[in-house]
This record gives sequence, C-alpha cells and structure tokens, in this order.
Amino acid sequence: MSTSRGHELPTVTPFFADKQDLLARILSRYPDYGRRSAVMPLLWEVQRAERHVSRARVDEIAEILGLHATEVKGVMSFYSTYHEHPVGAYHLQVCRTLSCSLAGADELAAFLEEELDLVNGETDAEGRFSLQFVECLGSCGTAPVLQVNDSYFERVSRSRCRALLDAMRRDALPAPTVERGGDNEVVRVEGADRSATGEAGEGDRA
Amino acid sequence: MTDAVTEAPKPITSRSDPRFEVTLYAHVGAPGSHTLAYYRAHGGYDAARKALGMTPAEVVDEVKASGLRGRGGAGFPTGVKWSFMPPVDGRQRFLVCNADESEPGSFKDRYLLEDDPHQLIEGMLIGGWAIQATLGVVYVRGEYHHAHERLRVALDEARAEGILGTGVLGSDFDFDLILHRGAGAYICGEETSLMNSFEGLRATPRLKPPFPAQAGVYGLPSTINNVESFCAAVHIVARGAAWHAAMGTDDSKGMKLYQVSGPVRRPGVYEMPMGARFRELIFDLAGGPSERAKAIIPGGSSTPMLPWSDATLDLPMDYGTMAKHNSMLGTGGVIVIPEQKCIVDAIYNLVRFYGHESCGKCTPCREGVATWLPKMYRKLLAGQGTRDDLAVMEDMVKNMRGTAFCPLADACAMPVQASFRHFRHEYEHLADTGTSRYPRRREWAE
Amino acid sequence: MRVKVNDRELELAPGTSVIDAVFAAGYDVPYFCSQAYMSPIGACRMCLARIGAPRKDRDGNWLVDDATGEPKVFFFPTMMATCTTVVMEGMVVDTLSKEVKDAQRGMVEFTLINHPLDCPVCDKGGACELQDRAYEYGTGRSRFVFDKRHQEKHHPLSELITLDRERCIHCKRCVRYFEEVPGDEVLDFIERGGHTYIGTLEEGLPSNFTGNITDICPVGALLDATSRFRGRNWEYDHTFTTSLDDASGSAIVIDARTGRIERIKSGINPEVNKSWIDDGIRFGHEYAGDPERLRRPLLRRGDAFEEASWDEAAAFISERLGGLSGKDVGIAIRADATLEEGVAARALAELIGTGQVDHAPRHGPSLVPVHGATLQDLATATAVIVLGDVTEELPALDLRIKDALKGVSPPPLFAHGVPIADLRLKERMPRARERLTVVAPYRVGLMQHAGRPVVVPVGGEAAWLQAMTDVANGTDPDEGALGMGRAEAQGLVRQWREASKAVMVVGGFVLASAKATDAAAALAKAVGASQLLVPPMANGRGLEITQVLPSHARYDYRGMLAGSAKALLLSGLDPARDPATAARLGACELLVVHDLFLTDTAKLAHVVLPGKSGYEKDGTTVSLEGRFLPVRAAPVDNGEAEDLTGVVKVLGEAFGKRLEGRSVRSARRVLRKELGFDPAELDRLGLLHDLPRRRSGVSVGPRQEATGAALRVPTMVRPEYLARNPRLRAALGDLALRLHPADAAGHDLHDGDEVRVPVDGAPWRLRIVLSEAVPRGVCLVPATPDAPVGRAHVALEQVVHERRALEVA
Ligand SMILES: Cc1cc2nc3c(=O)[nH]c(=O)nc-3n(C[C@H](O)[C@H](O)[C@H](O)COP(=O)(O)O)c2cc1C
Ligand code: SF4
Ligand code: FES
Repeated sequence: MSTSRGHELPTVTPFFADKQDLLARILSRYPDYGRRSAVMPLLWEVQRAERHVSRARVDEIAEILGLHATEVKGVMSFYSTYHEHPVGAYHLQVCRTLSCSLAGADELAAFLEEELDLVNGETDAEGRFSLQFVECLGSCGTAPVLQVNDSYFERVSRSRCRALLDAMRRDALPAPTVERGGDNEVVRVEGADRSATGEAGEGDRA
Repeated sequence: MTDAVTEAPKPITSRSDPRFEVTLYAHVGAPGSHTLAYYRAHGGYDAARKALGMTPAEVVDEVKASGLRGRGGAGFPTGVKWSFMPPVDGRQRFLVCNADESEPGSFKDRYLLEDDPHQLIEGMLIGGWAIQATLGVVYVRGEYHHAHERLRVALDEARAEGILGTGVLGSDFDFDLILHRGAGAYICGEETSLMNSFEGLRATPRLKPPFPAQAGVYGLPSTINNVESFCAAVHIVARGAAWHAAMGTDDSKGMKLYQVSGPVRRPGVYEMPMGARFRELIFDLAGGPSERAKAIIPGGSSTPMLPWSDATLDLPMDYGTMAKHNSMLGTGGVIVIPEQKCIVDAIYNLVRFYGHESCGKCTPCREGVATWLPKMYRKLLAGQGTRDDLAVMEDMVKNMRGTAFCPLADACAMPVQASFRHFRHEYEHLADTGTSRYPRRREWAE
Repeated sequence: MRVKVNDRELELAPGTSVIDAVFAAGYDVPYFCSQAYMSPIGACRMCLARIGAPRKDRDGNWLVDDATGEPKVFFFPTMMATCTTVVMEGMVVDTLSKEVKDAQRGMVEFTLINHPLDCPVCDKGGACELQDRAYEYGTGRSRFVFDKRHQEKHHPLSELITLDRERCIHCKRCVRYFEEVPGDEVLDFIERGGHTYIGTLEEGLPSNFTGNITDICPVGALLDATSRFRGRNWEYDHTFTTSLDDASGSAIVIDARTGRIERIKSGINPEVNKSWIDDGIRFGHEYAGDPERLRRPLLRRGDAFEEASWDEAAAFISERLGGLSGKDVGIAIRADATLEEGVAARALAELIGTGQVDHAPRHGPSLVPVHGATLQDLATATAVIVLGDVTEELPALDLRIKDALKGVSPPPLFAHGVPIADLRLKERMPRARERLTVVAPYRVGLMQHAGRPVVVPVGGEAAWLQAMTDVANGTDPDEGALGMGRAEAQGLVRQWREASKAVMVVGGFVLASAKATDAAAALAKAVGASQLLVPPMANGRGLEITQVLPSHARYDYRGMLAGSAKALLLSGLDPARDPATAARLGACELLVVHDLFLTDTAKLAHVVLPGKSGYEKDGTTVSLEGRFLPVRAAPVDNGEAEDLTGVVKVLGEAFGKRLEGRSVRSARRVLRKELGFDPAELDRLGLLHDLPRRRSGVSVGPRQEATGAALRVPTMVRPEYLARNPRLRAALGDLALRLHPADAAGHDLHDGDEVRVPVDGAPWRLRIVLSEAVPRGVCLVPATPDAPVGRAHVALEQVVHERRALEVA
C-alpha cells in the first residue's frame, strides 16, 4: 500500500526551470556529499527575485536537493532574511541595537513608522515599502544605519533619512556612500582634556 | 640597539610607539584597495609564496611563536588550534573563515572584507597550506552584501590568476574557496552553528567533542578562524613571528583591530598594538567622548561592562587584564555608554538582542534569554517592577550562567550581571520610583 | 573506569555517559531530551551535575592533593550535562549538593514558564515525565507572572497524531526520531529561539512509523489521536504482550479500559523492536472494539442465523460430523493463531481422524532457513540483501536494517536497562548505504536508503538470484537477468562475501516461488549470508515447526477449498471472495466459521463461532527469527468469544472427549514435551530456540506457481480490517491499486478513482494510485490472508468506475 500522501502542487512554473545554468553553478560550488549546502543559496536566489519564498518554491528547492519540504522550511524559518510573504520594493531595515540606539536609532525607527504609517514587520498596500526592525548590522561605528534591500545607508540623520525617503518615493534611490570611521578619518585632537572626569566636548559626530 | 644583548627591547603597547605601524588596516579605505592589481602592487601574495616555500609545520610553528590569539572573541592561540588537525589521511580537510561578524559593537571584519578581500584570501591560503586543507569556506553574514560582492569578485580574480585552484601560485598545492552567504542569525558566528548552517541545516550549535578538527564541516577535519586572525597570519609569515610578538603584553601579542562606538567624536576601527590602553583609544584616536560617559563595554556586547573611571581608562586592552577585571577582551569592540543613558534600558537593548538571536535549542536560553528576561526588563522599564523582581532577575540570570548548551546564554547573562554589579542603584531607582534616573532623551542627529 | 557518584564508587566501561553512571550507582537525575536509542544532545539541560576529575601533569603523573596524598579532583567551572559527558578515570560526580539542586530547580522553572500546566485535561497526565520531574525537582511555585506563550493547541499533524504546541518543551525527541530511526525527515523545528515550534509541510506525515513519537514525547504535546480523551493513565489496564500483526515479535503494551482497547503503545524488547512499532501495529486495533463483532455463536436456521449457546453449537457440529467420514473434514486456521491454538487444531483433527489440517496463508517453502539470522544479526550486519518490500511486509525489519547502516552495535545493558545516553549515537549520523542492496519488482521505499537498488521484472527474482549465484560461483551468468553489468555484479558479490556479517532478508515475492526460494538459499550459501525468511503472518514459523500441517500436499488449504473436504472448519479465514470458492463452500455439508465478524464466508456457514482477536488471547508465538514470545490477553469485553482452544474444548466435550489443547494450559503440556521448555515461563524478551527444519516429509508447496503480470503486495496495515479501523483508513486511504501513470491512461484511470476490478476472478474495490515507482505493465494490489503476496491476474479491461476523483486542474 502506498503511504506517501502527497499534496497537490499548485501549478506554477518552476523558478529554476529557465535558470539551469545558475542552478548548476550553485550546485557545483559544493562537493557532491554536500549538496544540501545549496539550500541557502537557492533560497537567496528566490528571495532576491520574488522578494519572498513561497510554499511552491520551498517544494521546488526540496525536490532539487532531495530533501523534504519540511527540512527546507525548518532552515528557511531559522533566518530573519527569508520571508514567507513578499516584502516591499524598498525593504527598510533599521538596526536598533545598542550602538545604533545610542545614536538615535529608536527615533529613526519611530520616524519611519510615522512617515510610512507602517509598524514593524508590515508592508504597505502598494508593496513599495516594508519596515523591519533588525538587530546589529555591523555598522556600529557609523550608526545609525538604515539598510535598504541589500545596501547600507549609514550615519542616517533625520534630514538624510527624509531625503532618502523622498528619493525612494521618486524611485531614485542614490547609491550608498562608503562610510568609514576610525583610522580612515583620523584627525588627532591635541590638547583635549583626557581625564575621566573632564568635561566632554560637544558632540561633533557625523 | 647597542644594548640589545643585555636588555630585551620593551614591547610595543602604544600606537604612538614609533615602531608601530598600521598593518592590517593599512589599505582599508584607499581607492581601489579591493582589487588584485592594487593588492599586488602593495606586495600582495608574497607572504603566501613564502609560506608555500616553507613546510606546513614550519608555518604552524611560526604562527605559534608569534603568539597570535584568535580575533573572533575567544582568543584561542591560532597556531595551537592549527596543530590540532589530525594527520593527513586522505580525507578532505576544510579551512573555514568565520566572517559572520554579528556581535554588537564589532565591525572590523566588514571593512577588511569590503576593502581588502585579497588579504583574507592570502591569509586563508597560508592557513590552508599550514593545515593541509585544499578547500576553504568563507561564511559571510547575510547582511554584508557589499562585502560578499567584493569577495566574490576577488575570488574570481584570484582564480583567474592562478592564485586559487589547482597548483596555486605555481606550486603543486591545490586550494580553493567556497563563498557562502548567511541570512541573518547571530548564532551562526558560533563555530559549530556556522558549520551546520553551511551544511544546509538549522544553525544550532553542535555537541563538542568532537571538535571541528576531528569532525567539522561535513564531519571532516576542519579548522575555523576569524577574518582578522587570517589577515594577521599574512603579516606574521611576511615579517616573522618575532615582529608580531614584539607587540603586546605577556599573554596578548601583536596588533589588534579595536572598535569604538557610542558617543565618541570619531567612532570607528583603530589598529593598535595589543595592550594599548582605553585612554589612548578613546581619547587619542576617537577624539574623546562627546558627552559624559559612565561605563565602557570593552569587547563587544557580551563582555561585562567596566565603570568609566581613570583606573579603567588606564587598563591595557589585553586578554589577561580584562579577565582579571571580570571582563573579557572579546572582539575588541568598545562601546562607550553615556551618563544620560539609563543603564537598565541599555542592558535591555542587549537582552532583546540576545533574546532575538537565541537559537532555541536549550532550555535556559530559549526560556530565560529569549522569553522571561526580556519580559522582566519590559516590566521594569514600564515602571511596574519591584525590588522582588530585581531579586528574581538576578536569580534567573544566575541560573542561566554556565547551564546553557553554548555560550550565547552566558553572553546575555554576563552583561546583565555586570550591570547589576556596577549600577544596582539605577535598577533600584527604577523599581522604587517607576521612573528611570535617566529618562529617555533625544539622541538622533538632525 | 572508576567513577564515584556521590558516595558510591563503581567501575564502568569507557565511553559510558555520566547520566548512566548516576543511574548505575542507584541515584537519580532528571532528564527530558535524552532517550535510549537516540543520540544524546544535551538540549534540555535538566541533567546538570557537578563533575570533577583528576588531572595529569606534563609527565603523565596524577596531580596530587598535598593534604590527602590522593589525586586532586578538579571540578569543571560550570555544571555539566551528564547526558553528554563521558566518564573519565577517577571522575567524581555530585548530584546531591545544594548547587546542583538549585540548578535543577532553575531548569524546571525555565521549562515550566511557557508550559500551560493543563494536566487535568491532558492525556499524558499521570504518565508525564514533566509532571513527575517538576514534582520531584521543582519548587512547586512559579515566579513567572506573565502571559504564557500561546500556540495552537489541537493541531492535527496527521489523522493519527495530534500536536499541542503549548505543551512542547522542545526536547527534540520527535524531530530526532524521524531523522535517526526511520530516516523519514518529515518533522522539524520551525522558526527559532522562543518562537521555535515543531511542524511539518509533509501532509499526513508520510512514514510508516509516525506513532512512536507519541510514546517518546515526554509531555502531552504529541498524542495518539485515536485515543485522545479516552481515559486517564491510571485508569488503563496495561497488558504487556507481543503483537500478532506480523511476524516481527514486536513487544506492545495494550491499554484497555472498561473492556475496550483504547490504545496500543510500543513495548520494549531490546533484541527485537527496541522501543518502536509501526503504525499498522499501533493504530490498527480499532476493529477489536467494532460493535459488529460476534459475541455469541450463531446457528443457521433456514436463511437466517440465530444466536445459540456454545453447547448448542457444539452439539450441532458433533451431530453433523457424526454423519461424515472423518477424513472428509478439513480444518484450516489463520497463520496468526498461537502455538496453543495450533495444538488444539491438531488434537481436533486427530479426534476427527483427518489429515486435512493446515494453516494459511502459507508459502510452499519452509520458513526455517538453513542458516538463520536473528534481528540482532540484521542490525549489526555489514552487508544486507533485501528481497522484497520489507517496509510494508514486516516494517520492524526496515528499522533494524537502518540500524545496520549506522553501524552501531547494540548497547551494553545496565541494571536500569539500555543506556539512557549512548554516546556512540550522534545526531545526523552518516548511514552506510553501500551496505544495503534491495531487490524488488518495483521501487520500494527502502531503495532510497540502498547503495544498490535493483528492480527486477515481476517474477524475475529466481532468474536474478540464479544469475548472481553464477557470478558468485564463477560460472557464466545469464547477463540479461543481472540488471547490471557483470563487473558490478562481481563487485557486489565480493562485497557480500567479504562482509564480516551478511544477512539476506527474503520476502514474500521470493517465498511464493519454491524455485526463487531455492535460488535465494543458493546465493546466500555462495556468499556466506545467513537468512531471515518473512512469514506471511505472525506465527507462520511456529505453526510450521509445531506441525499444523496436512498429511499430504493434496490436503492443504487450497486442496480443502478445491473440494477435498466435504466439511470445513475455518478459523479466521475468509476465502469466499472468490466466486468459485464461494459456490463450493455453499455446497459443503458442514461449514463452521470461527471469526470475529460475519464475513462473506461466515455468511455461508452453518455455524459461526465468535473468535478472539490477537489482543485477547493467551498463548505463544514464534517470530521470524525463531524467537518464542508470550502473548497475553488484554481485558477486552468480547462476549462469549473463544480462541481455538476454547472451541476445541466444547467440541471435545460434545464428543465426550477431553482433548489435549482444550485449554492454553493443556496445550502447553504438549508443547513442553515437544519443545523442551515451558512456554508458560517465557519472559518479555522471549527465547531464541532452534528447532529442526520441518520434519514432515510432505511437500506442501503450491502445486502450480501463479502467473500473471500483477502482484499482490504486502501492506503494513491488515487489509481485512482496514474498513473497521476508521482512523487508520482516514490516514492511509483505501486499499490501493497502484500502476504507472502511462498504463492508467490506456484505461481511463485517474489518481484517486475508486474502481471495482477482478483480481484473479474475485471482485475488488480499490482506489487508483498512480506512481512512477511501478514499472510499466504492472499492477500492484494488496495481499490479504486469503490472497497472500505473489503474482496475480488483474483484469484491467474489466474495470468498473465507482467514483471519479475530482479532476484537479
Ligand atoms: C554565540 C557566539 C557568537 C560568535 N560570533 C562570532 C562571530 O560573529 N565572528 C567570529 O569570528 N567569531 C564568533 N564567535 C567565536 C567563534 O565561535 C570562534 O571561536 C571563532 O570564530 C574562532 O576564530 P578565532 O580563533 O580566529 O577567533 C562566536 C562565538 C559564540 C559562542
Ligand atoms: S545557549 Fe542554547 S538556545 Fe541559546 S543559542 Fe546556545 S544552544 Fe541555542
Ligand atoms: S540536557 Fe537534556 S538530558 Fe541532558
């Protein structure tokens, strides 16, 4: 007796049907015995192209790798950047962890919620903007940081944030500038009070 | 130099020591620094050539002698780790680079990856030769898209030029790298979780033993190091162990990428010799605090904070000293906490982080770190806490210490305990009055 | 290794886990995530203890405590999970200090903060590891004042298993189980951290072994849906017995309450089924409580039946038999009857004076191999050759084969049983697929795990076995029959021959043919493999060795049905589906049917006697490996039902005779003499007892081997009861006719269609399942006790559509 109780696959064109080269390239990166390693790269490809990974794609990836869909889902849901539902064309991610928070990330987050009328995790009706609060992005020295899709915008002040939003609304998001703190921008300040109790100077960051 | 026979030269422990030279970060930020042409023009891959001319054991010994300790946080001696690999037995061996940098306050690896990817490739080539691995893995955190792209291009360049692949740099050693991208999970920085993640499994930590050297990636012998550790190896091979060991203190040698964030005038990454003092980093390099400070987190968010004081500022930033002061050097990511920041709120921020990043495998972390502790903080911050709650919190955190499966729960518990140790009065004030001594203020720059 | 646990010193084998050391020392330590037979993972952190060990200096000398002169014990800086720590020479373990108790209390508290504590409405209440441990090691008070995590409470993972996500404590036993035991990864953790929950995308959990997760769940998160809310644990009467659903000899526990079986759980027999049973065994019991069960004897009066007393029925039978020559009487019992029932059948035959006695289903060849293997042999084999579809035929074999692929020998036993944490077991252990060769006429499930799957033509086993034997013997093989190149075949043969232990599992497709069976024996001999032969029903081997067999091949069950018997006593058999047989049965001078239900055959009978299910008998069964195992009766309300010993008792009385086998006890007196041991004294592990091969000189094989392009294939469930097991039926669907999609197209058949179709002339109602695993030109239909595994003829051209599956776009 058959105990395989398969479910009905919705009829959608397989994502990798016309991307066999890409698929082969990804699979060839890993040794034969490590085929399963391709699960994250394949999820990435789908996520990038479709802004989410649907059930049908999970099934497809499972099929390609010889896994159960459950296993793919178990992996996918572990990470915070694969989404079950589509994110907006501009997926705004605000880091709120300590260093960013000390640089005003909480206000930045609140500002975006207000401006976009979105709460954390939401996508607007047109599918243009999604807002997600995330944890440390490794931009602590150039905080606060706003990640738009794959790009970092750093040292985002209120005015800069406004400008960025305007640009996105016009679909004219500028390329991110490369921000480097520390050694790349060292200006030695001579003669400052260097004791713990000394008066701190005015903030002149950014 | 004439008295060298009688008196060993004083170790270099300050960046202002004229013998110190910025090495790891020498090219970060320079236009075109990420290209192979630039890298070659600045002596790139000479160290790898030199290493390939040595025996693998000689390379390991050189790194051992240099005193290099892992820059990923735990500070395990790199050469010693390399020597743990079992004898070559025909099985595939792996060298893994941990480029998952996600510890709050740490951002040094990112710039290395973005601006100097060939330095990492060269370091891994040297490491691969040393442990006789022909395959390497670079696991880059998912958010580091730019770094990932730079690395991808650099790897292609290197392959095209015979720097990777069969017979690298004209030798008969084969070595190639697999670039793998994470997708947003701090726990992937833990070495065994990283391996699970790479293998396409849920990224929960594995039982140790077996250690990676016995059973790492795909159950095969593996060695894992941090980005900065590999980069340091390049210069150790190029300039010799003695050059490296001349910097630093007794238990901490070489140069280190320190990071400063929080309210200082010039936050960022600064390369300094090991054993340099907080004062030098925070004042001389970062320009001093931009407002009054009350604490320093010395090495990434999991390291217990130290009170802001002259005594603290004079501490050398090395492994031993930090341990002696109930803290850790970690990744060297210093976060300055301003006086006007409510310490309870600041620590809640970190608790929330660890709660978000708990993998969920073990009970104390899933239920304590990810569930109960953040709720207690929220209750306290909402003005509904009591002194009894503080006692519950302290007891709960005690139960999280040393009981969890991996160090993530400790990473959460330690800063909490330190905050109770140094700032109990802020907790008590909040519990007693329902309001913070340092109410929220505007921080965002216009 | 000398280890000291609190105040007790003991000597333990290297590799032992500290948790087992603690238990071996007679102390207790709480645990949730560890489970004997699965890898220790150290996730629940319940089993914490303070552990110390002496250290050696650089020169290899123990560091000595100056004060005492003894080796100095260094304690680990943190508490250690005892389940994942290995014992070391001189180790000291503390499980009693305040520090340890505090830590354990802390872990109980963490574990409980999100647990709903709904014990009063939880099926696990009273048998819950969390309840017990919280009581023993917790504070009894929670400091968690917040809302608990709210999650789905009655989530059907499948028709058979309900999940309460709030109760889950994330021990990962269930997830690990699927990966490590059957290797069907159909359940996993989803999300992470505090949001982690278990779930599946695989509808209905496609695996033959899903129910075991309800046994191992330490809380009430995973529950047997068939028994939900049927009773509290302390109300159940537990019967520790052996399953008669197949010949594995699997230990089971029957939980009954007020005369009803409410659920079946796996029993523990480390040498047989460890602690796992398949879903057929676990969930296939509902028929026993079916309201249509016969409770009293029935006598035919004209066209109708009337209830009668056993004495009336016996009087009727003895009177009718009196008018017949004894040798015209046939007695046939189903092959899951106990040995004691077999003795009873023999005694009755002797009384009547007939040689027409048999058990069915029964293959021609003997079930006692020349070189027999045990299940432990199978589990430790380094080469396994499987002939057939064992995952359906005898699912326990499937799991033991997967043990063999992991290559971990059975663990040592402690006084507290198998190790709680066997540190040789690892998560995601590689399986040595190359050890396994699976040969079948279609793609069977186990082939997924096989280094070498071989699909042979229907009926092509004999030729393949012969060809491989030729390869092994260095003679010229029929290359066409090999299904692979000669060099590869040589490689395989070499691998089997060089294996330290090779076991061949022979299923029904081969056993249905005497020629194939001989060929299998020849190949096994040529490569030095021992054999496990799969009986078609639970006690086939036992009934063979105790000679419940006809005196002549002519008088076997088929012969009786074909007309050699004028009177028939059939126990548990229902051959009337075949119209020709039904006509002959109708013409019998006496037809006595002993069964649970008014079957098609019973409807033709003169007398119908209420029988007992395998859950209600006392007796003995012999598993495929020759293990004698006790069968014990659960307290089930079954009216006046009797097993065969009871039938023989009243019949004997009607003849004025006190027959051997008129009770279990009297049958055992006979068995004791024949077997040389007393079956009454068998313990739960049973006894491996070698008896000589069939002594009777009669050749009892089918006289003519079946032909036909269709195959009757084994099924995990008992098809004869599927309709009366509503949950199992809902989960697995109706009996299937499986065929290749391309063949279906020719007959206008679609997946899910319900059809009526003649199989060997007998009408069958089946559900169409299209599958690429079936070769072109072949149909697979389920085997039953009356139509066992083997070839058949399916008249696809005579298909009648009953219900069209909704066409899916
Ligand atoms: C929870 C956790 C997170 C970690 N995250 C990182 C990380 O992001 N990057 C890193 O290099 N090491 C990280 N580590 C340390 C690694 O496990 C490992 O020690 C290190 O990569 C080894 O490299 P090293 O010897 O060169 O330092 C982490 C450890 C833990 C326990
Ligand atoms: S402490 Fe436990 S739950 Fe937390 S990250 Fe480590 S293993 Fe996962
Ligand atoms: S940690 Fe769960 S039993 Fe040891």
